Amino acid sequence: MGAVTDDEVIRKRLLIDGDGAGDDRRINVLLKSFTKWCNSTGSPEEGFTQYQRMLGTLAQCEFSMGKTLLVYDMNLREMENYEKIYTDIEQNITSAHDKISECKKEIQRAKRIRKNRQEYDALAKVIQQHPDRHETLKQLEALDKELQQLSHIKENVEDKLELRKKQFHVLLSTIQELQQTLENDEKSENDDAQESSMENGE
Amino acid sequence: MGPVEHLHMSVFSQSFSPCGRFLAAGNNYGEIAVFSLSSALSPDATDLSQTPILTFTAHEGPVFSLFSTDSHLLSAGNGEISAWSWAELIKRNTKAAWTRRPNYKSSLEIPEINAMTVNPTENSLVIGGGDNNIHIMDLESGVFKSVLQGHTDYIHCLSVREREGEILSGGEDGAVRIWDHRTGQSVHCIEVYKYEECARPQYGKWISCLTTESDWMLCGGGPSLSLWHLRSMSPTSIFPLSGCQRQANFYQDMILSVGEGQCVSHCLLGGEVKAQIPCTPHSLNTLALNLNSTDNRVLTVGGSSHQIDVFTNLSYRTFSLSF
Repeated sequence: MGAVTDDEVIRKRLLIDGDGAGDDRRINVLLKSFTKWCNSTGSPEEGFTQYQRMLGTLAQCEFSMGKTLLVYDMNLREMENYEKIYTDIEQNITSAHDKISECKKEIQRAKRIRKNRQEYDALAKVIQQHPDRHETLKQLEALDKELQQLSHIKENVEDKLELRKKQFHVLLSTIQELQQTLENDEKSENDDAQESSMENGE
Repeated sequence: MGPVEHLHMSVFSQSFSPCGRFLAAGNNYGEIAVFSLSSALSPDATDLSQTPILTFTAHEGPVFSLFSTDSHLLSAGNGEISAWSWAELIKRNTKAAWTRRPNYKSSLEIPEINAMTVNPTENSLVIGGGDNNIHIMDLESGVFKSVLQGHTDYIHCLSVREREGEILSGGEDGAVRIWDHRTGQSVHCIEVYKYEECARPQYGKWISCLTTESDWMLCGGGPSLSLWHLRSMSPTSIFPLSGCQRQANFYQDMILSVGEGQCVSHCLLGGEVKAQIPCTPHSLNTLALNLNSTDNRVLTVGGSSHQIDVFTNLSYRTFSLSF
């Protein structure tokens, strides 16, 4: 296990060209120059310049270490950020799924409603072909009234006819009676005349 | 099966399995082919998955009608009905569970059976065929309970209205008869060709497709496909489709209809033709909707070709299964 992680570390360090190799080299050079400076036999100015140079390299090392720490912090925070975005997107996906199923149900409902409307329309078309009920009722009423009026008139005419018939009947019967009486009278007159002539003749 | 026979094949009937994963289709050579829909629709489908998993000869004559109950596939051939267990068919075992024939009056001719449907309230099978009569068979006992007589020519199609307990039949004589299943009497008789707006005398008076849904009925054939309101017995919409329709279904708020003509027609209840989707066979005989399963909710059509078109989205043909 240790060997694997070491391999990984070595691989990573070999991959990261730039600063990593530079830092290592710098620290080694610093150590070497420190030991050389401690054991130096040169002039104090040279020693001082070497000391300044070493301070400079030290500062550089500290600087690069600070930089890598900041980068590490930044990476951690980026990771957190990405985690948050990931959970957000997952939530969005589930809510979108829910919305989709809701919409599908809506579509089913709308299709049912549409079908009902179409059935209603189809029936309404057929019903429209038949005439309006109020109109037919009105027509029926008018016809009824007409019928009543006509039967009234018929009754009146019949009554008149009856009356006339009766009047004519009375008239004719009176005429006949008068004729009868006249004939009777004539006959009785003739009889009288014959009797008187027969009496005269004897 | 040689290439010439392949060319002359017509698919007359289809039926989905109760689980919705398989499709059985019957052709004019008396064979039934079982296709696996789940493998044909899966993402890694190959050409092989569009061929049947099982093909066998079920009858001597053409298989005009197929119907699935909860466990069996019923097929109708020349005068006889066979039942095959779906579980056995999936295991590629082609032994029929039973074979029965209705009592025909004359034994000389064997009339073909054109339509079969099940009346769920009574658990009986209603059969109509070439002898102008409708036979009713009890599914549990296999006894032929009654015969409904009244048509003067052979029967093309049947439909059952469960709520009212009525059986509707349409035949070559142009009449749609409504029978009460208990008394066996013909309650109504609608002669579609006598209505001017529906009649198409140039095609004839026969009724080849009949389907009902609650108070509405679709019927067509020689006369144009028309939507009828059964309570008032009046035609409400006439569909301006040019060919003779052989099968129609209600689906959600539309009407799907197939017949002569190389397309599936989508129509609205008001009488307008919304769309006509082209498909491979030149003339279609059967249309089936797989409502048993949520995954394989497809529409399949078959006709005068050895290919059966599958529509996963009603607007276009996805692929074809091949006999």
